[in-house]
Amino acid sequence: MDAHLYLEVTLPMLEPATDFTYKWCVNMGLVDDDAAKMTLAVDEVLTNILLHAYKPETGYVELWFQYTFSEIEITIWEKGEPFDPDRYIYSAEKAINENDFEGAALETIRQMPDHFLFLNLGKDGKEFRLVKKFADSLISDLASSGRDSDIVSSEQELAGDYKVAQVTVNDAEDIAKLIYRSYIYTYSKEDLYFPRRIEIAIMNEYKFGTMVRTKQNEPAGYFAVIKSTDSLIGEVGEVVVSPEHRRKGLMKIMMNELISMSRQKGLLGLFGMAVTTHLFSQKVNAKFGFKSTALLLATSSRSVYKGLDTKPSVTASVVLEFLPLIRRWRRPITIPELYKELLTEIYGQFEKQPSSPSQQNQPDSGSGKTDLKLNILYEKNSAVIIVLNMGTTFETSCLRMFRSIEELNLTSVYIDLPLNQNPLDKAITWLKEQQFILGGLMPLFHRETDYLRMQRILKDVDFEAIETHTEIAFKIKERIKSEYDALQKK
Amino acid sequence: MHYKKSKEKLEVTLTGDFNLNAVRHISELLNDRTELNIDLKNSRFVNSKAIIFLHNLMIEEKGVIVRLKNPPKLFFKLLQILGLHKAWNLDEIVEP
Repeated sequence: MDAHLYLEVTLPMLEPATDFTYKWCVNMGLVDDDAAKMTLAVDEVLTNILLHAYKPETGYVELWFQYTFSEIEITIWEKGEPFDPDRYIYSAEKAINENDFEGAALETIRQMPDHFLFLNLGKDGKEFRLVKKFADSLISDLASSGRDSDIVSSEQELAGDYKVAQVTVNDAEDIAKLIYRSYIYTYSKEDLYFPRRIEIAIMNEYKFGTMVRTKQNEPAGYFAVIKSTDSLIGEVGEVVVSPEHRRKGLMKIMMNELISMSRQKGLLGLFGMAVTTHLFSQKVNAKFGFKSTALLLATSSRSVYKGLDTKPSVTASVVLEFLPLIRRWRRPITIPELYKELLTEIYGQFEKQPSSPSQQNQPDSGSGKTDLKLNILYEKNSAVIIVLNMGTTFETSCLRMFRSIEELNLTSVYIDLPLNQNPLDKAITWLKEQQFILGGLMPLFHRETDYLRMQRILKDVDFEAIETHTEIAFKIKERIKSEYDALQKK
Repeated sequence: MHYKKSKEKLEVTLTGDFNLNAVRHISELLNDRTELNIDLKNSRFVNSKAIIFLHNLMIEEKGVIVRLKNPPKLFFKLLQILGLHKAWNLDEIVEP
């Protein structure tokens, strides 16, 4: 569960904030020692803010607690006096000989988490980001202990000899083994090699799914939906069928089950991120009614799937495919002129879409202050900036955000623009001047609203290697390629 | 925080972490006493402000005798990060 605290910076605030931090970290699955380290880092940041940031006035601080399957991130935001952490270098020698402890708190903050980031957002404040990875056993460690013998089966099973059930925490180890057996160590989602991470994600309902087993209770297939944290949608993001159980219709059984479960859980839509190094996933998604809406370049490590002709590589692109689960999903009233033709075609793929908008769907004129949210995807070396409110300060706020992440040397930066706010065309034109190109439509992606994704790719892209299955995906690719080529010429 | 005062000694059992709040309380209670015993059985960490506070007490001209009971693992880790693990006589400071 993600959490948010908004606190007045006072001395009595320290203990409740650190108590919450510790309990949240433990509940999310960190071992006690790591939870204590994160708590100490939060205490040090808050203490420094208390002592230095708002002197002599009082101010406020916001803490954002975010969980992913592989790590937790705590972001502390404040808007006090300017501060440059690079100027405070701790020296043990100075501390001992001259009793000069300058930089001691910052040194502690740097050492406690696995990653520490300081982002100076200028007038928009400052952010301290603390990241701790989960320390779990790899599935190979469990496998080498001899406990994996149950997943190897030479027996042929008949289609009717399988049983399908909802995934529970008890399936965690078998899921990891299935992934290991099918992908070795090339599956892009590293968390699936750690049974404990899978267990916690299922326990906290971050994901749900189906598991197919043989009559002898051997695991044969797994398919799961990962719930989005800021919208009522989910990603059909984890799928594996053991090699000896393929071509028996298990994928179809599991997908139908997942769609049904997603409806029951109230999700408004499902999306898939199909890799473009082969067409298998795109074909499966198309078969179940998913429609292509975006092409995201350089998003993940490439997987080597047993039985498919794929070669390992550093990065791969994905086609985003969407399946609406409700009828009330509606096309926004305005579509940016720059991409009107393409977006109309993308929306046109969906049955019962678009409906005429109600008065409530009138676009916001983009007044007030710009509100941006930054998600750093550490494992993918990329970042997503979500525009929550496109206010009058859009360009300056974006520039501050770009500057603050400059030193991270990211491979890709994505920015999601809400399609229910204006002026979109002006924002897109400006983003293109900042070397962004089209990504595509992200249906219901944040706060149950459609977003347009723009992307800035900071490495070479081989468009020849990007395979697309549907006609619309090919059109999206061609449009992105033309913008990419134009940018390269500049 | 629970504490017991005598003319020379202050004995404290912290109910939470050894943080800025605890430093300020202990500082107020200590006055001119020359011995400080702290039980850290309820503490998850000792922060850098607390370590600096203890360091300063110990190197003062009069020198306060500091004894710590049940310090958390993280205390030793932070002492090492700050390079004080060799400067402090842990055999005397930490009660076995």
